[in-house]
Amino acid sequence: MAQNEITKEEIMAVFPTVAETMADALGCDVDDIKLDVSLIEGLDAESIDFLDMVFRLERAFKIKIPRGKIVENARGTLSEAEFEQKGIVTETGLAQLRAYLSEVPAERFGTPMKVKDIPRLFTPETFCKLVISAQREAA
Amino acid sequence: MQMTDHFAAFSFVDRITELVPGVRARGVYAVPRDLPAFPSCLVAEAVGQLAAWAAMAHVGFRGRPVAALANETRFHRDVAPGDTLLLGVEIESCDDETVAYAGWAKRGDELVVELADCLGPMLPVEEFDAPAALAERYALLRGAGAEPGRYRGVAAPDVVPGDHVRGESLTATLRVPAAAPFFADHFPRRAVFPATLLLDAQIRLGLQFAGEAADRPAGTVPVPVRMTHVKMRSFIAPGTVLTLGAERANAHAHRIMLSAQANGKSVATARLEYALRKGA
Repeated sequence: MAQNEITKEEIMAVFPTVAETMADALGCDVDDIKLDVSLIEGLDAESIDFLDMVFRLERAFKIKIPRGKIVENARGTLSEAEFEQKGIVTETGLAQLRAYLSEVPAERFGTPMKVKDIPRLFTPETFCKLVISAQREAA
Repeated sequence: MQMTDHFAAFSFVDRITELVPGVRARGVYAVPRDLPAFPSCLVAEAVGQLAAWAAMAHVGFRGRPVAALANETRFHRDVAPGDTLLLGVEIESCDDETVAYAGWAKRGDELVVELADCLGPMLPVEEFDAPAALAERYALLRGAGAEPGRYRGVAAPDVVPGDHVRGESLTATLRVPAAAPFFADHFPRRAVFPATLLLDAQIRLGLQFAGEAADRPAGTVPVPVRMTHVKMRSFIAPGTVLTLGAERANAHAHRIMLSAQANGKSVATARLEYALRKGA
């Protein structure tokens, strides 16, 4: 199912549990977990925290989230070569990424955008979408 | 590196008695009789090593797991030199990227240590060890088993007390040795200070902090009962100078926040819960 079909209502339905899970993983107050805060720049999350968050979300929602699923979801129907070339997101890929991460302000996308910097864009809303996608796939 | 230390200086599985690939494993480890002590963190290490063998075998020794997340560790009782540990792990998931597992160590029917919600990233095995040597060792552990009594103990790391705000926080400096026999086993191709040795030092600091609390009843001593949110953020190389921290947790009387930093960067975090028991 296309990412843009995820509704705000669906996101808000899972957000409280996502926020609680993230706060536990990051050791911060649940009130610090705003829907649109950058996890890396706003909450000092590191790669192991992403691993931890996904691990905890899998348990909290009883879902399976394969590693790298966010980027895979973001790529959508594009092939890897269409999405990125030599570690740089292509123009087509960037348009797809902007559509997938519609909650992220345009100025936060780099130009050029390195694939390794994509996690810098992630917010709690990104993970809400990830959970909803996984729930749909499991249904 | 002395090859005699490989599979000896920091190896805590003597035999793998049962293994269902990707599902579960059982094993045994005899704690050498002539050691002065055998800390609970090394019991947890034994469980983790059994999980590692099960995971490596499952992926054909392409990858090996490294310590990353241990969300729940319960310390039930101490073990003594000469005890035989029965080890068990239940593999929740395992592929070329991660292994998730739970596990336990028992002495007879008594639980010693329990682990739950543990996750280790699988890294290319050849960065750490020779795949053929691991496969050969695995065959030995699955067969007749390794010769027991190989572990000779680990010298206590150099820990120097630092800042202390009574009832609030305590720090210490831990100097990871530049050379030690266990580096030849952990790991032969890439020496890494074992996470469980760091956790052991952190627990000691946490218990020291708890023991100095003004409200501790006379005649009681703090003992570790549970460790949660263990997160290893990076490898610790030989010779690294670590700043360990123990800090009172808000809203929980017997919980301590533990931290370890190298060059101002967090390398490990955990939460320790303790109980006060009547003691010396």
